[in-house]
Amino acid sequence: METDCPKRPPSKVRFPERAVPAGPRRRQRVTPPRVRWADRTARTLITLGGLGTIAAVLLVGLFLVWVVWPLFQPERLAPAARAAIPFFGAPLQTIVDERSTMFAVVFGDGRIEAYRADTGERVATEQLFEGGSNGERLSAWTFSPRHGTFACARDDGQLCMGRIGFATSFVPPKQVPRDVRLKLDAAGSGASGLRPDRVRPAPRKPPSEACAVFRSGILQKTPEGQYRLQQLQVEQQAPLRRKGQAPVVLLDQAESARGRVLAYLTADGRLHVARTVERKNLLTARITVRLREGSCPVTLPRGQLPEYLLLSGLGDTVYVVWSDGRLQRFDTSQPQRPVRAGTTDLIEEPSVRVTTVVFLAGRTSLAVGDSLGRVRIWFPAKTGQRDAADGAVLLCGHQLWASRAAVRRLAASTRSRLLAAAYADGAVRIFQVTTERELASVSLPRSERAVNTLMLSPRDDHLFALTNRELFAWRIDAPHPEISVRALLGRVWYEGYPEPEHVWQSSSGTDDFEPKYGLMPLIFGTLKATFYSLLFGAPLALLAAVYTSEFLTPRTKAIVKPTIEMMASLPSVVLGFLAALVLAPVVEEVLPELLLAFATVPFAYLFLAKASQIGCRELSAGIGRHLQRLRSAGALKRWADWFIPLRSTALRERWHTAGMILALPLGLSLAVWLGPRVERWLFAGDIMAWLDRQTGSGLGAWFLLLMPLSVLMVAIGFHLWLRPALRPVAASWSRQAFALLDLAIFLVVCAVTVGLASCLATGLTALGWDPRGTVVGTYVQRNALIVGFVMGFAIIPIIYTVAEDALSAVPASLRAASLAAGATPWQTAARVVVPTAMSGLFSSLMIGLGRAVGETMIVLMAAGNTPLMDWNIFNGFRTLSANIAVELPEAVKDSTHYRVLFLAALTLFALTFVVNTVAEVIRLRFRKRAFQL
Amino acid sequence: MSLQTTSVDSPSLSPAKDSPADQPHGAVLGGPGPQCEARQEADDAVPLSARAEIHEKVRNEPCILEIESFSLWYGPKQALFNVTMPIPEGKVTALIGPSGCGKSTLIRCINRMNDLIDSVRTEGDIRLRGNSILAPDVDVIQLRKRMGMVFQKPNPFPMSIFENVVYPLRIDGERNRRVLSEVCERSLRDAALWEEVKDRLKESGLRLSGGQQQRLCIARAIAGQPEVLLLDEPCSALDPIATAKIEDLIHQLRGEYTIVIVTHNMQQASRVSDYTAFMYLGRLVEYGPTEEIFTRPRLSETEAYITGRFG
Repeated sequence: METDCPKRPPSKVRFPERAVPAGPRRRQRVTPPRVRWADRTARTLITLGGLGTIAAVLLVGLFLVWVVWPLFQPERLAPAARAAIPFFGAPLQTIVDERSTMFAVVFGDGRIEAYRADTGERVATEQLFEGGSNGERLSAWTFSPRHGTFACARDDGQLCMGRIGFATSFVPPKQVPRDVRLKLDAAGSGASGLRPDRVRPAPRKPPSEACAVFRSGILQKTPEGQYRLQQLQVEQQAPLRRKGQAPVVLLDQAESARGRVLAYLTADGRLHVARTVERKNLLTARITVRLREGSCPVTLPRGQLPEYLLLSGLGDTVYVVWSDGRLQRFDTSQPQRPVRAGTTDLIEEPSVRVTTVVFLAGRTSLAVGDSLGRVRIWFPAKTGQRDAADGAVLLCGHQLWASRAAVRRLAASTRSRLLAAAYADGAVRIFQVTTERELASVSLPRSERAVNTLMLSPRDDHLFALTNRELFAWRIDAPHPEISVRALLGRVWYEGYPEPEHVWQSSSGTDDFEPKYGLMPLIFGTLKATFYSLLFGAPLALLAAVYTSEFLTPRTKAIVKPTIEMMASLPSVVLGFLAALVLAPVVEEVLPELLLAFATVPFAYLFLAKASQIGCRELSAGIGRHLQRLRSAGALKRWADWFIPLRSTALRERWHTAGMILALPLGLSLAVWLGPRVERWLFAGDIMAWLDRQTGSGLGAWFLLLMPLSVLMVAIGFHLWLRPALRPVAASWSRQAFALLDLAIFLVVCAVTVGLASCLATGLTALGWDPRGTVVGTYVQRNALIVGFVMGFAIIPIIYTVAEDALSAVPASLRAASLAAGATPWQTAARVVVPTAMSGLFSSLMIGLGRAVGETMIVLMAAGNTPLMDWNIFNGFRTLSANIAVELPEAVKDSTHYRVLFLAALTLFALTFVVNTVAEVIRLRFRKRAFQL
Repeated sequence: MSLQTTSVDSPSLSPAKDSPADQPHGAVLGGPGPQCEARQEADDAVPLSARAEIHEKVRNEPCILEIESFSLWYGPKQALFNVTMPIPEGKVTALIGPSGCGKSTLIRCINRMNDLIDSVRTEGDIRLRGNSILAPDVDVIQLRKRMGMVFQKPNPFPMSIFENVVYPLRIDGERNRRVLSEVCERSLRDAALWEEVKDRLKESGLRLSGGQQQRLCIARAIAGQPEVLLLDEPCSALDPIATAKIEDLIHQLRGEYTIVIVTHNMQQASRVSDYTAFMYLGRLVEYGPTEEIFTRPRLSETEAYITGRFG
């Protein structure tokens, strides 16, 4: 009868026979619909959740790529206009207005005319020297597009200053003539302005607005429906009185903090530098401008006058350039007394001529075009050699060599490092100077190859070229010209630097600043933070995990592990705050003691451990016996069991705990006691000054660096030679005697370690090597040591938990096998448990690494945020994550800076991704070994 | 097999000079110690004869281990009740009994593996060659070096076969390559594994089959030349062929080592052991020469068990 229900599990409960129903009993087993439904729902939800997680991670990566992508888009020059112009030949100056609707042309006879930028139609005419013009011509001219100011010299020797600009005003619609209004309204956008690119719409609207000539200006209808009028505006001041009568040949001007500075060269070969001093008459409100000037002779080779004169942006350096490449530099920081500062040959080859010289934005770097087609960028930098009067030398930082045809004209942007060059073969190229990249190039038609004037619009969005008869305009499509892979990751030679370097400096106080987007200092900072925090946290966490899982009784472990895990619940901002405001100032005060504690605390632990060998076992055995007697006599209450364990092994564990609690204060007080003495001995009495290389020798630094090495060497030597020799002794001596010997040996070994380190340090110091400035160096309060401490503290719980789990997951059978073979717990841990758990330990380290790489608040608050590439543990750094946190709030959306910060985020993402992938691969390889357990 | 030749030179295997053969076993076996009496009364409900039946033949053997009035508690739960049992030297002693009767607990007390469990408390004594192993000042590490132990489940270390075998020497600091390989070969030969693995000593021990792994563990246990070999159900995870090999091996090791084997399998006990102890509910019930236990048990409980009426 029982065989009829084969599906029933064999029951241990025996029913009385009557309870078994007579006859075959078959129960129909069906899964209830509710269970099916729950199963299906759970499967769907879990699938959705898993796919959603993967999709979320992918989307984050995709979003980062999407924001970063435009940085690496190729730049283009799109044709925007071509028109005939009603003048012939090269004018003195052309000036484009802010919206690229019109441009002003200055002619040699003082005439200033404004033309439409799209049709070349003349709009307005002005004349310099009204009233006083007797057919005189301008002998020298300079214009500063940044300030809109000009200075000129007439061939009668008079100097004159003024301002040329474009005034913007809004005209009420009623005043606009009907036909003009209708024309503007009908045209909509893009009818008569600069032609938009046909391929795709222009990102910026202004050139596409329709415009018309009105009241000697250009009238545009804005997208908001207003009528905006652009008019030429010329202001002119009264001629200036100057010393001497020789005609001015070359002239330049600069705006310094103390007023405008003029530099001019007269035909007699003298360089004059003048600072303008404005006086306002309080009664008449008339402003009189006087010159305070000085002069010095220029050495003229073969009596030849130079072709170019340039005055730097601050008015403190004058460059005089001859067409054979000879350059003389004058220090004019005191305008009354210009001093010759040096000579440089811009061109080595004898037959090559300089064809054009312009300043880049900021008026510091010279762009020199020559007849070989090269454009070289020169700037002054302090290299440390003192052969020049002001300690600076002119260095050729970049060379842009895209063509064999001679450079004809150069035009530098006033707001960025863009440089446009027109060549003799009719090619026009634009470059980004910092990255030495050719962004785009176009060719002029065969008939109009000779470019007389090249202009970049003030917004860097249009490029204009004037040939003898025609006007060409292009739209520049280069939103992020300063970004290239080389600029981001390689060494770049920035203006004013003596050599190419990795620099991150995204913004500064001035507009003509060269942004430096080198990611290397940030990646370096990230790695530095990770390295030092792992150096501090990883050994502590791993050893703590080994100790907890292998040496603690389960009861103690149940207290210790959650306690350490609770450390992870501290918010990192709190840790960072404590590090920056509490720990950093304290560490600065007790640095020698702190460094010593790294040696004295382990020493105290080992010393107590060795000392406890002498009598601890006998003592605890005796106490154990005594307790047992008390207990069996009923003298001890039950609660005493917890405090005083019965078995002597457990009692010994209490001893060890007590010893460990004792060792920490012992080691620390030893460090405090030794600190001032060691500071006197190694660090010349003042460790801060010593680190700064003000006092003392490299002895202390070598000692610091060699101490770990010495410990390692002595430990290896001890284990290889002394340990085997001691084994027979250990077998024959009594335990206590050998424990005494062991303690003595330990002390001797410690002394030998210190002696070895100091001997090596003395030797290396005697050789004259000083490691200060490498991994140890000048102390900064927020530094890698502090971050190492606190971030180490932050990653300890993570590493500890994962590592402890991995160690506990090692099958107890292995531990039992090892212990049963007579291994000590330490041998079991070191030889069996740790190797078996290696994959888990490794992944715990990697998880800690990932946390350290991505950690933001601690480094933001405690690392000083100086983007330096310096291994010095006492110096600050800036990590990728902290950099994003600091700079993203101030980055303009979609600007280069904004996108580069997203690139930094992408780099961080990639870094953690690569670290985790590598870790996973290695972990799996380790795991294969333990897989069969 | 070099079994005979290799074992002669091992001093630890020769009979101990201070063999406690002349000790009055009867006196110590006389009954529960004074401190156990209180507990004995509490356990009166258990319907078993309180005193173990120990055959005279066992008492007359020279013994290496004496378990005396030994009781053990896991926390509040008592697992062993006043066990008194001499282990004869150079013989194979089997512990049989149903699951949970305390066989494994007892064998694990002999090399103090129960120390690893926090809540264990013991009373009574176990003596190895007359010296108590439970005294507070005993060096457990040294004690375990004198005992080899093989566990129920094969547990080779995740390292090469060679390193597995020489592990006891490694932890003693032996670095001499020649000594290590000699011991490795001898132990593997003793464990009847040499021919199968001699060409792949560098391979991981985990690559061996279950039976081979267990023999590897035996090789590891005898590499340290212990005085006593404790086998805790060594064949329970193995198939019959591997079991047969292990049993052959025990036969070969007989005389050379004192072997204590815990087994569920009564056929196995009858095949391999010289003496058999039957335990039930934490008590030693009957202990005597194997053929007597299996053919003429003195107590009805023993007979009931070995004839398969319960357990």
